[in-house]
Amino acid sequence: MWILFRLLCLVFVAIFSINTAFATPPTLTASQFQPTTNETISPFGFVNGISRSGYLLGDLWGLRPWLSQYGMSLNISETSEVLGNPTGGVHHGADYDGLTQMSLQLETEKAFHLYGGTFNVSALQIHGRNLSADNLDSLQTASGIEADRATRLWELWYQQKFLEEDRMDVKIGQQSLDQEFMVSQEALLFVNTMFGWPALPSYDMPGGGPAYPLSTLGVRLRARPINSLTFLGGVYSGNPAPDTNPDPQKANPSGVSFPMDGVLAIAELQYSYPSLGSMVSADQSSSLSGTYKIGAWYDSLKFADNAYNSISEHQGNYAFYAVMDQMIWSDPNDPDSDRTINFFARAMGTPLEDRNLLDFSMNAGFTFHEPFRNRDDDTFGIGMGYAKVSNGIADYDRDYNLNNPGSPVPVQSGETFVEVTYQYALTPWCTLQPDFQYVFNPGGGLPNPNAAGQRIKNEAVIGIRANIIF
Amino acid sequence: MHAIKFKNLVLAMLTLAVNVADAREPKGFLETIHHHITLASTVADNGDDNPYALIVAPVSAGKIHKNDVLMDNFNRISNLQGTGTTIMDYNPATKEITTFADLPPNVPGCPGGIGLSTAMVMLKSGWVIVGSTPSTDGTTRTMGPGGLLVLDSNGNLVETWANTNINDPWGNIAAIDNGTNAILFVSMAGLDVPGPGVRDPQTGRPVIVNKATVLRIELSIPEGKPPVITGQTVVANGFGQRADKDAFLVGPTGLALGLNDTLYVSDALGNQIVAIPDASTRTNSAGTGVVVTKDGLLKRPLALTTAPNGHLLAINALKGQVVEIDPASGKQLYAQWIDADQAQQPPGNGDLFGIAMTPDGKAFYYVEDDMNTLMEAMR
Repeated sequence: MWILFRLLCLVFVAIFSINTAFATPPTLTASQFQPTTNETISPFGFVNGISRSGYLLGDLWGLRPWLSQYGMSLNISETSEVLGNPTGGVHHGADYDGLTQMSLQLETEKAFHLYGGTFNVSALQIHGRNLSADNLDSLQTASGIEADRATRLWELWYQQKFLEEDRMDVKIGQQSLDQEFMVSQEALLFVNTMFGWPALPSYDMPGGGPAYPLSTLGVRLRARPINSLTFLGGVYSGNPAPDTNPDPQKANPSGVSFPMDGVLAIAELQYSYPSLGSMVSADQSSSLSGTYKIGAWYDSLKFADNAYNSISEHQGNYAFYAVMDQMIWSDPNDPDSDRTINFFARAMGTPLEDRNLLDFSMNAGFTFHEPFRNRDDDTFGIGMGYAKVSNGIADYDRDYNLNNPGSPVPVQSGETFVEVTYQYALTPWCTLQPDFQYVFNPGGGLPNPNAAGQRIKNEAVIGIRANIIF
Repeated sequence: MHAIKFKNLVLAMLTLAVNVADAREPKGFLETIHHHITLASTVADNGDDNPYALIVAPVSAGKIHKNDVLMDNFNRISNLQGTGTTIMDYNPATKEITTFADLPPNVPGCPGGIGLSTAMVMLKSGWVIVGSTPSTDGTTRTMGPGGLLVLDSNGNLVETWANTNINDPWGNIAAIDNGTNAILFVSMAGLDVPGPGVRDPQTGRPVIVNKATVLRIELSIPEGKPPVITGQTVVANGFGQRADKDAFLVGPTGLALGLNDTLYVSDALGNQIVAIPDASTRTNSAGTGVVVTKDGLLKRPLALTTAPNGHLLAINALKGQVVEIDPASGKQLYAQWIDADQAQQPPGNGDLFGIAMTPDGKAFYYVEDDMNTLMEAMR
């Protein structure tokens, strides 16, 4: 099996050496792999240093060093969690869900002496059940790893840096936009999906947008004209899944459909402080770092009209957004500490209420790094999210009730949740994260299918997540 | 009359021009630096990473070309600190980076094994001397005293120096190299340092042991033969040192020679730069020396180098900055962000380590151990 994997890696190198003047990857011979450490040669060698290793399995019995000589790095991680709702929702109970991620990157500088190139391929194995689908029916789903069970290709791209000081780079291939666009660095701590890919594009973009577990073909340009400003812009296929199934994950079940349908264009401008090269005078009080982003996206596909009994469609869809991450406190009393508190906020809105489920969504919160002294790698967070159902949908509900007086439905409005979480760093390769969420007005006021005439009651969600890097 | 007025006008203009020129005269070195270029990845063929030491080759010898940049890696690929065994060689002319040396994980005469630290120097005679501060589990719990390793200019290990004075050579080496003899200054930061689990009940942090030293090593370098130690003197001692979960070890790390035979030492735990007078001639220890500057812009100072104007450049460990200090006045001029990566908090926290001036004195090299890259900061 291992030999097969090595051969696959070699094929991988060979493929990407084509059309490259420098491409002469060494051929694989048994003598090239020579274990040199106890970690490498002993079946349980990885146990030595397991408390400080970056990976549970250390150098993977020599596989990592072997890949490294070709400029390749392999990352395998598992996220597993149990989340349950003791109150609220359409059912009570708990679900396990998990995600195994595997990515292989190749740096062309080492492989082919070509500076600034990176090839990346990643895959997902999604297992377990989805609490949000089973029990919650919330708009802002409880976990960012919830998805249909599948084994799928995720990203497959090549990135090349250009210009002096790496001031520009271009990425081409199958990409998941949640890795680069609309990202709040501090919000990534949280478990709820909407701290990653926001609620508005999750519901308003075709197929939920090219974000986990989906991705789409396209080209992305990043430029840094001055060190404090970065421009990010991309053009992608307008839909990450073909229109063969209402569930986009089922329509593109393995991530290899590569649909080209319409155009999704997105642009983002980022300002950050401090910037590389900025000076700090001796009498200047320590200023706190921050990043601010504004952006917009446009999708050229047709979108169904929200009006009751309407069969018309609208051409195109768009939204605007802003993101901030701002450090607001750094421990002044301990020069040997890196304790900080950060505030983050992100908002996105669209005026197009006639074609969108949501016309506004936002997140905000605080993170506290090293909340307890000498727990350097722990983080505490408290955050919230809000998703507003558009007036177009609310009007649909009202019109439905006018036309169906015998079976009225609640008029949907907005959904709010709060989340409190603590990420405990057990080792560099393992974190444990107890989590609590409370959802107000689930689904924006959806009717409870198990209780006629009632909306879904507010939900408390508790659970724990574990992250392991192999 | 008109001639006098014209003369006055010219004089006034000249005076103004001189004043403007004065105003534009940089007060220090860092303000002349505006560009930061990634030169190469420092990851070795075997996956070693976390670059610490950084030096510029003074001569061409063996595999090394004059002005090449040598870096060593402190971590093995699994990211265990104190287990890196490789030295990388970046050639600025060809922009190629190669592995100069890949040492075995254990070497006879180097107690504890190999974990290459910030201590490295290349002599004009072509010998490369590098420090080992080794561990087997990535923490000081299993740290051995290590030693100094002598490599020839083709990267072959030819000698190992270990004795009671050499205990975890840690900081960047300052050297006076006369060709046939040389003086090295090396900080030793491991004596009696326990594992990171041994805590000070007062602070909750790993216990501080005030036993770090700066050792002066006198060398004789016979023609065509490895250097020989002819004398050793502890010229400073009593610096704080302690285990650190993220940085492995915190102790005196930066060494730089200044005017009047003064050795400057960055005392990381004391958050200060101190001066050791008569460094090359003194016969006793100056203790922890004389404080040059403390706190202010310093945030756990690590490697030191000297800019052409005589000012010290100190790398901050806990913030991605380099700080410029006038050692004569003890004044901190300013700092520059050379790593503003907000993936760490504060930006660049824990990323920086080694620093070395380019041969022309107009720029400096540094390493980023989060990205495993060699950088050049230039005008």
